[in-house]
Amino acid sequence: MTEKAVEARKKGQRKSSDDYTYVGMVFHRLTRHKLAMFGAFMLIVILLFVFAGPLVWRADPNEQIEGLEGMFNVPSPAHPLGTDDYGRDVLARMFFGGRISLFIGFISAISSTIVGAVVGLVAGYYGGWADDLLMRFTDAMLSIPTFPLLIALASVMGKGIGQIILVIVIFGWMIDARLVRGLVLSLKEQEYIEAAHAIGASANRIMWRHLFPNTLAVLIVSTTIGIGGAIIYEASISFLGFGVQAPFASWGNMLQNAQQFIWNSPRLIIYPGLAIFMTVLGFNFFGDGLRDAIDPKLKL
Amino acid sequence: MRDYIIRRVLGMIPLILIVMIVSFGIFSLVPNPFAALIENPRIKKSDIQRLIKAWGFDLPWYLRFFKWFSGVVRGDWGPSLLYPGSLARDIISRALPVTVRVMGLTFLVSLSIALPIGIISAVKQYSMTDYIVTVVSFLGMSMPTFWFGLMMMMLFSVVLKRPSGMPLLPAGGIITPGLEEAPFWAKLGDRAQYLVMPVFVLAFSSVGGWARYMRSSMLEVIRQDYIRTARAKGAPEHSVINKHALRNAMIPIVTLVALSLPGIVGGAAITETIFNIPGMGSLIIAAEVKSDYPTAMIGLMLISVLVIVFNLVADIVYAWVDPRIKYS
Amino acid sequence: MDNREILVDIKNLRTFFYTEDGVVPAVDGIDLTIHRGEVVGLVGESGCGKSVTALSIIRLIPNPPGKIIGGEIFFHGEDLLKKNAEEMRMIRGDKISMIFQEPMTSLNPVYTIGDQISEAVTLHQKIDAVEAKKRTIEMLHLVGIPEPERRFSQYPHEMSGGMRQRVMIAMALSSNPDLLISDEATTALDVTIQAQILDLMRGLQKKLGMAILIITHNLAVVAEMAETISIAYAGKIVESASAREIFKSPHHPYTYGLLQSIPKFTEKKTNEPLPAIEGMVPSPYHMPKGCRFNPRCPFATEKCREEEPEILEFSPGHLVRCFHPIES
Repeated sequence: MTEKAVEARKKGQRKSSDDYTYVGMVFHRLTRHKLAMFGAFMLIVILLFVFAGPLVWRADPNEQIEGLEGMFNVPSPAHPLGTDDYGRDVLARMFFGGRISLFIGFISAISSTIVGAVVGLVAGYYGGWADDLLMRFTDAMLSIPTFPLLIALASVMGKGIGQIILVIVIFGWMIDARLVRGLVLSLKEQEYIEAAHAIGASANRIMWRHLFPNTLAVLIVSTTIGIGGAIIYEASISFLGFGVQAPFASWGNMLQNAQQFIWNSPRLIIYPGLAIFMTVLGFNFFGDGLRDAIDPKLKL
Repeated sequence: MRDYIIRRVLGMIPLILIVMIVSFGIFSLVPNPFAALIENPRIKKSDIQRLIKAWGFDLPWYLRFFKWFSGVVRGDWGPSLLYPGSLARDIISRALPVTVRVMGLTFLVSLSIALPIGIISAVKQYSMTDYIVTVVSFLGMSMPTFWFGLMMMMLFSVVLKRPSGMPLLPAGGIITPGLEEAPFWAKLGDRAQYLVMPVFVLAFSSVGGWARYMRSSMLEVIRQDYIRTARAKGAPEHSVINKHALRNAMIPIVTLVALSLPGIVGGAAITETIFNIPGMGSLIIAAEVKSDYPTAMIGLMLISVLVIVFNLVADIVYAWVDPRIKYS
Repeated sequence: MDNREILVDIKNLRTFFYTEDGVVPAVDGIDLTIHRGEVVGLVGESGCGKSVTALSIIRLIPNPPGKIIGGEIFFHGEDLLKKNAEEMRMIRGDKISMIFQEPMTSLNPVYTIGDQISEAVTLHQKIDAVEAKKRTIEMLHLVGIPEPERRFSQYPHEMSGGMRQRVMIAMALSSNPDLLISDEATTALDVTIQAQILDLMRGLQKKLGMAILIITHNLAVVAEMAETISIAYAGKIVESASAREIFKSPHHPYTYGLLQSIPKFTEKKTNEPLPAIEGMVPSPYHMPKGCRFNPRCPFATEKCREEEPEILEFSPGHLVRCFHPIES
């Protein structure tokens, strides 16, 4: 901090550390983090686009224009992003596809975190053979390359939005479980847990009232970044033909559809891919900033 | 140290077992594995029966698993449904080295870029270089690999062309047809142009993460007391960084690189598919898509075992590199 | 009067830290003189600026957030603050050495202790590796480490805290420096080990004749070792005299308070509580107006709350920074 900033503080224009609550401090640091704020900005723009877009630009994403003139139109006032191989308005499909992709990403990430947190909490707290077994199992699962595994499960479970969410969650909870378990193991040794035991707190109470709140920060960061990952998984799975099926659009299956037209209408690939990229980038920037804000000393 | 190695090797066994069970288990969930074949009017019922028997589908699941397990271990991997007439074993053994080559190359490229960048970022913390590296890392981590692959393909094969009119870089495959018997160097040069894009695409996604990790590892190490001691001794700054700090900072990187492997192999699967590279990844995906479950099972199991073995090697390297573990 | 040549002369040193929460005037006008071969004690509570003074001498203040903003540090007549990085580097470890508080973390875990000491030797002396190893083993022997040849190839984690501190001392003295700075070197050790290390340092001082700057918060440590003692409080020196004078007739209320608070074994039992200095060390962001000790001083007057006292010679060789020094 420069001498100028020191002067500004003396004039009461900036507060010092002592004046904030924990959440306040986190928020304060977060708002200063350039990348995080940029990420938040990106996300807000995308959310507006996806949810408020159809209010501004009313077109039916599934309405097909018959005939050759309808196909692969270049962007025009009638179709700002052009049309696809069925003559459907690309912009409208982007709105609704985005909603589905975001929905899947969000639900998958939150579910994974919840399941993972509960499992990790219990395993970390109770320890013993159940914990060992669990760790072996997750170790093994984490050795299997994720993507082929996802496709394997997807091919077995069938296609659809619900199935995709299930597939992502089935393998997603493990990372959170390990994270939480590790955290619980180290927190368990601290004196305030010993004190809670000493005054007769039950296991449940210790787990939920004392350990869990301390894992919240890490879980929030993990979920935020997990949404980005889930969106990419959805896109990849849909890209290969599993996952979201017609008539629903998702950014992933728009890409799958567009792949064959790479030679004559490359913009069909650019739009959804760019959207996915920007969304994940936004979540990653924000999640990373969140992590820094929660514990700047972590510097990861 | 020896005990450590023995323990780790023994620890591998349950992991491999679980992986085999999971691989088998997932595909057992398929309600009707031979549905596609049954519908095909050209395939005789008796052939299907033969297949059912060969694969043990007439047995309850636990017996089926043992039958499969013993078959796999003996090397009898059955016929390939993807390429009728060939043995699964042949198909897989042709695909495996390709993937290994691509992965190995990606690995080398990623490491040799990520580590120096991470170190420079750490030493020049908060500088413009650091900032740029951070942003680019994020780009790499957020970009869907297959989309990036497609974009690269569009750029280098569709938009950019050589004087002859051919694409600047080939859009797929690993070797120009007809050059299979060419001398080593010609083959090498030819192969290189096919691998440039896929390796670049794959490396781009991991370089970012690794550089950031290296950066944070270095930052952590530079803060340590023994670095202060080194400076107080009068060691020149380059020695402080490259000798005292680096060696310590590299240790956790070993673990990180080992842990990233499943992700890279997974990413390779879809990249291989896009760039038409006949490796394990695209094989597994193709098998899954075309319902060749036996091949998919074995393929999945194999690459997982590869990852597990690689992790073991990484653990041993880690123990060797950190004297606190080596001598205890 | 000390007839020895003046080795280090610190005049009005000011080192500030610029943090997000404000400016910390860690060292705000410190004067200190060390003669050749003299053992000087710098005593004070945590946060009073003594470590920062030491780091300022060898210019290892982390920047950001710290900065030496004023004063002069004369070493052999030359101002260290005017030297460039390379000149300072040659002085560190060679003419001025420093040992630190935490022996457990002050040595690099991935190199043998022999390597680390030899490095200190070869950095400053033009001798080859074989000679350096010989010299290292000599040093290990000198600091009382048994079986030095065997210990040479050991790693820090294979040694106890006391032994590691001996290694640090060996490293620091390997080039026969003019000044050894000991920054709380015994604080992290068990009391018995502490005594051993202090004995060692005393013996080495007699043998090698270097000056020692002992920084500690423990008066007992300086009572044994130091010839001259300076007491620091809130970034300034408040009293400075020979060790004898400080203990026999302290003149500053802070020193007086410190000495009063040492528990003593007397023959008669008293039920009186142990006298302690009231209040707490001021927050560096909110230094009190006037004399920095005034909020805690039982003798403070209006003048003390308004003006800051200068440091003046109260009696020959005895400096005090107080408007109302205690007579004895």
